[in-house]
Amino acid sequence: MSTDDGSMYTTVDEADRRLLEETEFDADLGAEMARDAQRVAADELSEVEFYRRYHDRLLAEFDVDDREVEIPDPDEVDADDVNAVDRVEEAFGGLGEALRNVGGEDAESRRSVMKKGAAAAALGLGGLGSAGATTGGEGDGAAGGAGGGAEGDGTRWGMTINLNNCDGCLACMVACNQEHNLSRGANWMYVFAFEDEGQGEETNFLPRTCQHCTDSPCTKVCPVGARHTREEDGLVLTDYDICIGCRYCEVSCPYGVNYFQWGEPDVPESEVDDDHQIDDRGRWVGSRPPEGVMGKCTFCVDRQDGQMGEEKVGTTACQEACAMDAIHFGDLNDPESDPNRHLREYRDGQENDRSDYPNRKGHTVSTFKLMEERGTEPNVRFVGNEPSPHAEQVEGPVAYEDVGLVDDRKEVLDRGAAANGGEEA
Amino acid sequence: MSVDGVDVTGVDRDTLTRPIRSFSTRYIAALAVALGLIGVWLFFYSRQLRHGLIVTNLADWGSGGGVPWGLYIGAFIWWVGIAHGGIILSAAVRLLGMDTYQPVARLAELLTIAALTCAGIFILIHVGRPDRLVTSVLPAWPTRVQWSPLMWDVTVITAYFVLTATYLALTIRYDVTRLRDRLPDRLEPLYSALTVGYTEREDEVVERMVWWIAFAIIIMAPLLLHGGVIPWLFSLLPSMAGWAGGVQGPSFLSIALTSAVAGIIIVAAAFRYAYGWEELIPRAVFQGLAKWLGFFSLIFLWLQLQQVITGIFAAPTTLQHATEVKISTPLYWVAIGLVVLAMLYAFATALRPDLFDLRALVGISVGVLFGTLTEKVLFVVEGLQHAHFALYDGVPGQYVPSAVEISAVLGTIGVVVLFFLVVSKVIPVVELHAIEDHEEVDA
Repeated sequence: MSTDDGSMYTTVDEADRRLLEETEFDADLGAEMARDAQRVAADELSEVEFYRRYHDRLLAEFDVDDREVEIPDPDEVDADDVNAVDRVEEAFGGLGEALRNVGGEDAESRRSVMKKGAAAAALGLGGLGSAGATTGGEGDGAAGGAGGGAEGDGTRWGMTINLNNCDGCLACMVACNQEHNLSRGANWMYVFAFEDEGQGEETNFLPRTCQHCTDSPCTKVCPVGARHTREEDGLVLTDYDICIGCRYCEVSCPYGVNYFQWGEPDVPESEVDDDHQIDDRGRWVGSRPPEGVMGKCTFCVDRQDGQMGEEKVGTTACQEACAMDAIHFGDLNDPESDPNRHLREYRDGQENDRSDYPNRKGHTVSTFKLMEERGTEPNVRFVGNEPSPHAEQVEGPVAYEDVGLVDDRKEVLDRGAAANGGEEA
Repeated sequence: MSVDGVDVTGVDRDTLTRPIRSFSTRYIAALAVALGLIGVWLFFYSRQLRHGLIVTNLADWGSGGGVPWGLYIGAFIWWVGIAHGGIILSAAVRLLGMDTYQPVARLAELLTIAALTCAGIFILIHVGRPDRLVTSVLPAWPTRVQWSPLMWDVTVITAYFVLTATYLALTIRYDVTRLRDRLPDRLEPLYSALTVGYTEREDEVVERMVWWIAFAIIIMAPLLLHGGVIPWLFSLLPSMAGWAGGVQGPSFLSIALTSAVAGIIIVAAAFRYAYGWEELIPRAVFQGLAKWLGFFSLIFLWLQLQQVITGIFAAPTTLQHATEVKISTPLYWVAIGLVVLAMLYAFATALRPDLFDLRALVGISVGVLFGTLTEKVLFVVEGLQHAHFALYDGVPGQYVPSAVEISAVLGTIGVVVLFFLVVSKVIPVVELHAIEDHEEVDA
């Protein structure tokens, strides 16, 4: 239903319009409001103006005098007045509860979520409940956050990884390994260096974390519910207290991001702080797993829970270590978060020449999600070219060994097997 | 596929209870072998308990360069297959009135119990935290059973175990009561427990109950067991090229039936040899079983052909690659060759009965079991080695089972042998119905 007419907003297409028209309400009003609500979400239209523009027509259409609340006087309203949205929303009803549940003191983030709510409210009034009709921006879009099942209210941690910026220095891998006390070869963050067909000798890079899929196969197949999606922010985590170590999650994951703890961890339990291991629900999901259970990238759950200080919330070890501005971590539901802003700005910087072909999209930036056709709805989005089926991993400018990492974990494990477990892994 | 001329009603009760009442050095030798196999396994397994799964040759797929599932899972599938096929055969005897196979029906049921136990052992030793199998699985059951194929699997296998054990317990009451004078007194408490509250009036009711259980087993096996939950562990995952797809259900079922018939042939031949049961389990029973073995082998080969052809003709790249690797693996052709051999032998002896030789059939059955185990392990391992996401240098991964893993297969074979050695000293392993009709028994 997206039309690319120079704006990134969806318009109401024929099917939806018919739906609107089937209602007893004014279809034009619904369609117009839906569009303007998205403008509000993108800061192109003030909330007060949005309210004023439709207030009279709404009253005429719905005749609901009792809904009339104090309309803020535009002259008195500060542009950043969050309460103004509250009042608008109160007047429109419906979304209040969901929006009030949005946690955090971050007014900026809360505001942007509310704006999206207002956009949804507008269409809701028009008789449409479909979330698909209310999303601002395209599927992998900038303004309305990435497409995905958890789209909408609340936090949804995710990444934009700009492959064009990555130089394969492996600093992210080192930082991840150190911060999470990982055993040798358990590379929760793994950087591929690869050559692809038609690109000659040019080396490309692809940093691979857990994709923290919205529809993750690993959580689906886990027999005991140890692998789960944390409701508050969409993190896909493993409860180390419950996991039986059957490795079905590892088998079902299309990306190969799981690393089982085959033997005694390299870093003993006594050296790992509880703060890094126990999340805000009191579940043991952070840092390296104990022997016999599964581990993988947690998107630094300890940081997101504020265990490393408020300033680390919304950051990851790999992103912090990246000097090339390739890794961008943040709340995908927040249009102003780092991953969304980076993508928007990157696109803005690579404008498409549309003088002859006005229907071309506005930029020349290519993005992809890994194996999106598997239906996993990953929350990691890449900027750059997707590796083709013919891509081959090659040695990068920095060898894993040079920075103290192990690439092929099997070598470590085989030594352990040969020594009957005498060696740690 | 009934076989003419199988009438064992002339065999007396002493012959039937011979295993219980005799004792030989050969028995001691067999016991020693079984305990030896179990001992070797326990020796290796104690290392795994001490050091973790690192003592296996399993590793992570992806950048890790290995496979996380291997021989343990392959052997698990194999044992479940033998178990299912065994009880299907026994249930078919009852439902379809295939009296020819009555002398081996209870052996098949016992094989099911033993094989399911071995499958359970493989789950236990496969997981990283066996201590949590109860504490994690039970509380999670109500919420996870609707999602996880592994939970379906555990559920259905448990149900199947209960059904089979009930089936056995019900039918054994009849026999134990009537053969009580030939059973050892020192086991009296056990026999009293088995036959508690028995009256002859229950025979008719039990007969009906057992018929319904057999009916449930026959329906459950293809729909839910080796035609269902076991293949679904793999076929529902789109991440691995060689696994996904609907052919796995029929394919697994064909492997189960082929393996089970081979297993029953071996067990029945062993009892016949050890206790001179030429009359009780006549040659014609084995000739009949050979035909079933040939028929199931044909189905097995047909389904393998389906997979290979669809995998190489115009398949997507990753499936094509996985299939090419499969057909260029010599061990795969060894497995297929052994099953082809069984099929050819079975059909040849059906046409020319004078070619039939029981020792050859047993040898071929051992070959079939080796072949099906090999095929299943390759299925698991090669499936994991050829993930769709093949950018990793470590994909395809490497895997050769370690001594710890191989010892577990030997150990579980020891468990089955030990099971039969012990059980055959306690209860009649051939039903009284095989030698006497109801009327005769009650007369």
